[in-house]
Amino acid sequence: MEGSPYGIPSRKLGMWLFITADAATFGAILFAYGYLRLANPDWTHPFAFSPTIVNGIVMTVVLLTSSLTMVAAVATAQLGRTSAGVRWLGVTMLLGIVFAALHLREWFAMIGAGWRLFQNPMGGSPLFGATFFGITGLHLLHVVCGVIVIGVITLGFRRGRFDAGHVETTALYWHFVDLVWMFVFPLVYLMNVR
Amino acid sequence: MTAIAPRRGPTMHLYVVVWIGLILIVGLEVFLTYERLPAGTLLACLLALALIEAALGVMYFMHLKYERPALFWSLIPYLLFALVLMDHFWPDALRLMRQRMPGP
Repeated sequence: MEGSPYGIPSRKLGMWLFITADAATFGAILFAYGYLRLANPDWTHPFAFSPTIVNGIVMTVVLLTSSLTMVAAVATAQLGRTSAGVRWLGVTMLLGIVFAALHLREWFAMIGAGWRLFQNPMGGSPLFGATFFGITGLHLLHVVCGVIVIGVITLGFRRGRFDAGHVETTALYWHFVDLVWMFVFPLVYLMNVR
Repeated sequence: MTAIAPRRGPTMHLYVVVWIGLILIVGLEVFLTYERLPAGTLLACLLALALIEAALGVMYFMHLKYERPALFWSLIPYLLFALVLMDHFWPDALRLMRQRMPGP
């Protein structure tokens, strides 16, 4: 049978194609947000340094660190060190859960302050809530799905059903989720500071 | 099926250097935000820094630098082209909205 033109397994190529399509989806949403923001002169700037931006910085560091633990998981899995690979995958999952918990805590604080999808308690454009909850919600959905998938892959890898290639393909998705946040944090949080 | 040999990737030391670089870029983004730059300048700076972060992540954490160049050239230029097209089509949508004929 003819070899892969890219020198990678088909599952990895499939993940790259999914990531490209998903990047275009997030790109479309962020462009739409940018133009909505420009088209609304009464756009709200609600975020104070503490707690929102501090919380955002902590979330960013947590997610970046989870990418580092994920590459450690891939490296140990490729060396055949199953128990070390499982441990690093567990740490990555834990950091993903911490990120989601911090995110939900922030959401609940905003909802408690009167923010809704189409309701702005500060009196500015009501589209702020729609774009904020829409963009961060879609990213949070990706994080939660990633944690679940890492959990399934970890169990399979520990039992010998999955190999290092599966861990590497899952890592690609997790790094992509991290990269999307590198755009969401500056565009949605830092551009809206008081 | 033809076996595909794993390609050599970066060392753990390099991963840690990239991770520190990414955290420093996040710090720079927060610093620039509180320098009270004009909104357009701040947006341009933040987007440029985010693109650098994305490039570091894709090349090192996602190993694209260590794959065959064909993979890079098959994915990245077309994604960037699609994003540039979006950048052109969205403002056109705003122009069309202003040109809409009034209802009867």
